[in-house]
Amino acid sequence: MSNIYKNKKYVLLFLAPAFLFLIIYLYYPFIVNIYGSFRQIKNLGNFGNKWNEPFYDNYIKLVTDPVVFTSLKNTFLMIIATIVGQVGIALLLSLLVDNIERGTQFFRTVYFFPIVISATALGLLFNLIFLYDKGMLNQFLELFGKEALTDWKGEKLALFTMMLPVVWQYVGFYFVILETGLNNISQELYESAAIDGATRFQRVIYISIPLLRNVICTCLTLGVTGALKVFDLPWTMFPKGMPLKETFLTGTYMYYQTMEAKNVDYGATLAVLIVVLGVLLSRVTRLVFKESEDF
Amino acid sequence: MKMKKLTAVLMTAAMAASMMAGCGSTAPEAPAAQAPAKTETSAAEEAPATEEAPATEEAPAGPVEITVTTTFAGEDSNAQNYKNAVAAWEAETGNTVSDTSATSDETFKTRIITDFETGSEPDVLFFFNGADANDFVNAGKVVSIDDIRAEFPEFASNMNDDLIAASPADGVKYAVPVNGYWEAMFVNTTVLDAAGVSMPGADYTWDQFLEDCQKIKDAGYAPIAAALGNIPHYWWEFAIFNQQTPDNHLNIPGAADDAVGSQWVAGLEDIKTLYEKGYFPDNTLSATDDETFAMFTDGKAAFLLDGSWKVGGIVGSCQSDPEDPSTLDADKLAGFDVTYFPGKGNRKTTDMIGGLSMGYYITTKAWEDPDKKAAAVSFVEYMTSDEVVPLFAQHTASALKNAPAVDESQFNALQVKAMSMMSGVTSLTGAVQDLFNGDCRVSTFDGMPEIVTGSVSAADAVQEGIDVYKDTLE
Repeated sequence: MSNIYKNKKYVLLFLAPAFLFLIIYLYYPFIVNIYGSFRQIKNLGNFGNKWNEPFYDNYIKLVTDPVVFTSLKNTFLMIIATIVGQVGIALLLSLLVDNIERGTQFFRTVYFFPIVISATALGLLFNLIFLYDKGMLNQFLELFGKEALTDWKGEKLALFTMMLPVVWQYVGFYFVILETGLNNISQELYESAAIDGATRFQRVIYISIPLLRNVICTCLTLGVTGALKVFDLPWTMFPKGMPLKETFLTGTYMYYQTMEAKNVDYGATLAVLIVVLGVLLSRVTRLVFKESEDF
Repeated sequence: MKMKKLTAVLMTAAMAASMMAGCGSTAPEAPAAQAPAKTETSAAEEAPATEEAPATEEAPAGPVEITVTTTFAGEDSNAQNYKNAVAAWEAETGNTVSDTSATSDETFKTRIITDFETGSEPDVLFFFNGADANDFVNAGKVVSIDDIRAEFPEFASNMNDDLIAASPADGVKYAVPVNGYWEAMFVNTTVLDAAGVSMPGADYTWDQFLEDCQKIKDAGYAPIAAALGNIPHYWWEFAIFNQQTPDNHLNIPGAADDAVGSQWVAGLEDIKTLYEKGYFPDNTLSATDDETFAMFTDGKAAFLLDGSWKVGGIVGSCQSDPEDPSTLDADKLAGFDVTYFPGKGNRKTTDMIGGLSMGYYITTKAWEDPDKKAAAVSFVEYMTSDEVVPLFAQHTASALKNAPAVDESQFNALQVKAMSMMSGVTSLTGAVQDLFNGDCRVSTFDGMPEIVTGSVSAADAVQEGIDVYKDTLE
């Protein structure tokens, strides 16, 4: 009976399908993608009929293309928005909810709700909210006497308008994780601190947050890596990097080059950049937000 | 023990097999360059066989499902007509249609091209007959009308062959047209009245247009409803046309500084001038086409340059229920009109852009499938029949040999005005953007915001597009 567990070949046998899956659907396409980045490809589904001249032409373009710089800048801004906006606000909300006697479950449901709505539907919803003419926000501003319409998707406000819904959507996700972490902290610690005369604020600073460290680190790691993958909501609200290609993220720019500009090989080059960026950032995130074994 | 080993192996095999099933059975198609040239030789080989086996005998015994992709979707004027026609064909033949129609835009075109590249093309496709179709035409993935006629002699016999456009790829005719199109300037006359501007006519000039735009702007309205960051296509086409004549409009420049290239640059500079004068909506670079169209129908903008398919959208905006024509507000619709794009230089105001730019293709995949061949032919024959085409064509042209007389009593006010405008047309020229396809247009379409704001010069943008165009010819 125990022989089946001792024999390592069965372990390999069961690992094989998942490994095969990764090779077929991840590593092979990635290698093919690198190959494609050196070819001239106009349409998806083939490798084109010639090499770029020079073959690394797309990589030269990558470092000279101002839109790549814009999309990298926006992606990093999105990461900051994720850390401050999503995890930060979620932490604040979870600490507040943790300090109320009743209604915790209600707030959990309310804050988590946006997660279950598809990002595309949310994009359409926020398009109506931020609409220039007859949009919800501009109608509110009109009520308060503002005469000129605000172009929320114009050059000045576009990034804010793009990031706000993304932040809003995921606050609830981190809220639930942090709230669960807070529930795992023993009440005895709070009670003894209260007996020692600690205020609620001091209990949060000296008990809740230090004991939540590992959970916060997990949230930040998820947030940073998640920010690299944000695509659908920004694309729904700002197709083609509108306005003036100022709202491209690395993912949306890759999609644009591949599907809209029909520059498939350059899209493949951008995909390589995204993978490299993802690997580097996840390493850095792991180093910076390293979980402590003290907790 | 052996049983457990066997179970473990079987489970692993089953998991692996189910996973591999996702890979699909379709082998990647050969790249376009390696694919055999058009099917003319194979058609010639097939023709004699036809005589031995009449088409009717090839019809499958049971009902067949064919996949069809068209652009009759979304706000297209003919979306409902298409649904009705498909339902009628299904009822008549017992066959079914798996429809994957979508609104026509660049993503749609990419999807279609990709479908062909990956062997996932539909059986019947309603698509552009210009350069957008070159890839799958060159790859031999659609069947020519002549090849189909060799086996089905009555196929598209009700069409005037002279009006069926040949593919720019090889000069062969593939797509059977249904309805034509025209592009013109819709006018919100309520806005014009409020701004003290009279309705433009057949002698409307560019200078008069600029004067009127200024009056409209001074009256507090947006003169032109256009989303330059989203759909600059129509302005691109007419601004260039305004530097040319119908005779030379379809020429592709060899360089930005040659004769044609300079005309293109001058056209784009005209759009830049309009932008700088503030004649487009304030949010023209960040708005979608739907938003600026709503501005036009809501009486906040005066002019809308668009195509004949927009008639339905405007009429729909005048109905309390866009799906129900009986809810039409005739008074509101009376506030809309349509006229020619203002003329400049040697282009007469009444020279228009239009033609028959799309049609039904039958794919080689369906043609070579004995179960689907007859059904695909039957579907196209039905959709291009003398009875169905007029329903789609309405106030536009068709390629029918015996087009029925137009019964204007069945038309709404805007359709009647469109008919009236079309009666004064001096020429109808195709759109040069249909020849300057796909990625060639990116620098001047998607790059329009950069051109009008001056961050990229019109000459550089045109040259970039020409370079891509030359690259595609190699």
